Amino acid sequence: MTAPIPRDIPLPLPAPEGLLEILLIAAFLVHILFVHLMIGGSMFSLVCQIRGLKIPDYEKLAYRIMQTVTVNKSLAVVMGVAPLLIINTLYAPQFYASSALIGDMWMAVIPLVTLAFLLAYAHKFWWNHFLNIPELHIGIAALETVLFLVIPLIFMTNVNLMLFPEYWPKVTGFFSAMLLPNVLLRYLHFVSATVLFSSLFFVWWAGRKTFRIEVQFSELRVIDVRRFFYAFAFGATIFQILTGLMVFVSLPAQGMSWGFTVLLMLGGLVVLPAIWWMWQNLTRPGHLLDDNFKQILTCFACAAIIMGIARHDYRENALADHKAAIAEKTINYQAAVKEAGEQAQLAAIKAKENDVAAPGATAFNQNCAACHHATLPTVGPALQEIKEAYANNPDGIAAWTKAPGKKRPDSMKMPGFPQLSDDELTAISQYILSH
Amino acid sequence: MDFPIFHIDFIGNRMLIAVDAILHVIINHALAVGALPVIALLELSGIRTKDPRWDRLAYRLLKIIFIITTTVGALTGVGIWFSASLINPAAIGSLIRVFFWGWFVEWIVFVSEVSLIMAYFLSWQSSARTPEAKLKHLRLGIFLAAFSWITMAIIVAILGFMMDPGNWMSERTLISGVLNPMYFPQLAFRTTLAMVMGGMTMICLTYLFTRNDLPFRTTVLRAISSWSGIWMLALIIASVWYYRVIPQHMLANIPVAVTTQEYVSWNSSLKWLLTIGLSFVGWVLWSSVRHPGQVHGAKYLASVLLLFAMLGQFERVREFIRKPFIIGNYMYANGIRVEDYPLLQRDGILQHATYAGIREVTADNKVAAGREVFEQTCTRCHTVNGINSIRGQLKTMYGDKPWQPEVIAAYIENMHGARYFMPPFPGNKAELDALSVYLASQQKRATAFNGAQTNGIPKPDKISASTVYGTLPNLANPHGEQQ
Ligand code: HEC
Ligand code: HEC
Repeated sequence: MTAPIPRDIPLPLPAPEGLLEILLIAAFLVHILFVHLMIGGSMFSLVCQIRGLKIPDYEKLAYRIMQTVTVNKSLAVVMGVAPLLIINTLYAPQFYASSALIGDMWMAVIPLVTLAFLLAYAHKFWWNHFLNIPELHIGIAALETVLFLVIPLIFMTNVNLMLFPEYWPKVTGFFSAMLLPNVLLRYLHFVSATVLFSSLFFVWWAGRKTFRIEVQFSELRVIDVRRFFYAFAFGATIFQILTGLMVFVSLPAQGMSWGFTVLLMLGGLVVLPAIWWMWQNLTRPGHLLDDNFKQILTCFACAAIIMGIARHDYRENALADHKAAIAEKTINYQAAVKEAGEQAQLAAIKAKENDVAAPGATAFNQNCAACHHATLPTVGPALQEIKEAYANNPDGIAAWTKAPGKKRPDSMKMPGFPQLSDDELTAISQYILSH
Repeated sequence: MDFPIFHIDFIGNRMLIAVDAILHVIINHALAVGALPVIALLELSGIRTKDPRWDRLAYRLLKIIFIITTTVGALTGVGIWFSASLINPAAIGSLIRVFFWGWFVEWIVFVSEVSLIMAYFLSWQSSARTPEAKLKHLRLGIFLAAFSWITMAIIVAILGFMMDPGNWMSERTLISGVLNPMYFPQLAFRTTLAMVMGGMTMICLTYLFTRNDLPFRTTVLRAISSWSGIWMLALIIASVWYYRVIPQHMLANIPVAVTTQEYVSWNSSLKWLLTIGLSFVGWVLWSSVRHPGQVHGAKYLASVLLLFAMLGQFERVREFIRKPFIIGNYMYANGIRVEDYPLLQRDGILQHATYAGIREVTADNKVAAGREVFEQTCTRCHTVNGINSIRGQLKTMYGDKPWQPEVIAAYIENMHGARYFMPPFPGNKAELDALSVYLASQQKRATAFNGAQTNGIPKPDKISASTVYGTLPNLANPHGEQQ
């Protein structure tokens, strides 16, 4: 393996690894669900707003959608903290390394998300201010959506890079990491999941009893809106399976295993009945959109959970050797640290013994050596110079040191040392003169 | 040592964290912890007096709080994580290992806080329909205020720990970290300061929002001023407590003489700022309680700024006290553990830094090796050309005289003795020389200094790619650990 092998943080994990892994998978799924709803909401609001130029009811719909984004975006952020915390704990050597390698873009996530959120608020809270300038309003919505779409790409690049330590030496900057095999395909897979989950959400959302009252369409029928989302959900599901297959084929071999493959297949299979039901509901007369809706949701939820587990399984496979090597190196390093520490302690004891011969040496090194070198003028004058000025006058040195004045124009003022005792000062002065 | 080194040479790494953190703390204290109780108070007054103006004002204020805290506020909070994990991963990684459950609880409280503020803000209009719904809504506000305080209380434990690990050094448990001796004075000071800051900020905004309704302005300002005035008294007590407890405790831990001196000057500037700040803000509040209509808005604004300055100074002293450690007595600000020093000083830091490109200093590679040493040991705090630049520092020290490597080396070797804020040099003699040669070479022509995010990392060599490096059998060989 040509991967660099750092050492781990030499402190125990705060909980059993298995527990942390379960927490990670669960917390990540919740986080990513809200991320999907946030990004999807922003995209759909934009789409509806553009359609709203022709059919005004769509503009009302766009406004309602933005209201969900306000909530979902905040949940997406807070729910992201837990997986971030656990990744930091479990994968410190890998995650910090990949973050540093794409550091500027990684850091840019913070201002980009902030900006996207502020744009989302401007988009929503000032809705009526923009009635006469729809171009500007749509421009803001578009910028917000673009930002929302860029941010996951940065995350994707990082979590992909952390999986493959052997790629690290090849990476110089964000774009080279982004162009590693698989990142863009995974990203495509992610975006289609966004469309899928958010449009499913909006099918449900527009089907609530209160929706009709909230939105107050003048012409549009709620059922048409729901069909609109339903069609998107169906299309995205098909796209999702296709991109999923491409991701699978292009995944680097490091993390492949039979268990992982079986999980993926299982995840794909679970979706098939949902596709069948959705197709029927869309095309067959006599079928309603709400037919089998719970079952369809259950299928997708199971698929998401299975994929979440598979994703984690791949990561563990890919990093298994690296983690083992890191653990070994960490133990070896700790042993070396301990040994060197003991050696240094012995040396320190020896030095103390020598100190008896030269009293004042320790105190001098601790208090004065930083600024006074034996022969070179550093911050303060060299000892040689002091020796000449204060030959046979240790008391002069002591007096100066207690309360220094200001002599040399091109050097700083020396700080006073009133806290040193007279004995210490005498010892130091004698040490300087005898040096 | 164990992580690729991210570096921004322009604004500097410490500045990046500082800007993000200060912004976060100000928003947190002035707009969350301190302001939310005021909003609940205003809502309560609206219910009691049945005067809708209270409610409208409270909602307007809350809207501003909502917009800022859920964007800049929340993200600068996440930003502290991001920047800390880029700049000092060893430190944040260690803190997470110790405080994982603390942070986990913090996260749960944070989720509740965000959910509550959304519920509180977004249901404001619809709750106005019935009195029962309104009372329920008020209860949401009270919960929200409580949760935002708890979020702060947990973080203060972690910050206190970084300053002074107390018993943690020997016990290494979460609870011993939380019960460190700094905790309660800090918490008291922060809580009361936040309450006064929040009250004052709300007063300023109220002043702005009520400019067309002066009688109402008088009533509201008196109410908020009385509330803040009570906290002001508590703040004075907490300041005295904090001022008396913390410095003594810290001074006992500062071994370096010069530090004590600089500390005294810092401390007295803190004392002055506290005295002036507290008297002025106290006076403004006092007049505002007595004649609320007659205090000019500029005085309120000045009070807010003074309070921000006090908070800023407080954070600086906190930083000061922590130096040269990033985790008191456990890890230096350069990300190297105290315990690692003997090994690194014996073998050289380049031998042990996973991502170093040069392992040994030779006669020909001094400048390049020195750059690596600089990267490993100084860049967490210094840039080459940007803020706190090493060129600038050397120029102040040596001016335009030729910079001599020997002189620089003599300084660096002992710099921790004179400059409390810097950790001791963690490498061996050859590396010290190389570093000095590199630094001296920067006098005439500074080479651009990029971090791993631009340069990447070197191809792994034997040391980086093997696990047996540093194993016991090799320790018999004092000159490095290669097989
Ligand atoms: C922070 C740097 C610093 C430290 C630490 C320091 N000095 Fe100095 N020292 C100076 C400087 C700068 C001068 C030159 C001051 C001047 O000329 O105004 C100086 C000058 C002196 C002189 C010469 C005074 C003269 O009459 O020319 C003596 C003696 C001296 N220091 C002793 C000490 C002793 C003893 C200690 C330790 C207890 C010490 N210094 C620690 C910076 C330092
Ligand atoms: C903990 C952060 C930190 C680290 C690590 C650090 N420094 Fe400093 N250094 C500082 C600060 C803070 C200052 C003072 C800046 C000021 O006051 O202008 C400083 C000042 C200096 C000065 C000027 C000192 C003077 O007396 O005026 C030099 C030279 C210097 N550092 C060199 C180094 C070198 C070389 C390294 C690496 C071996 C290093 N520093 C590591 C924080 C650090």
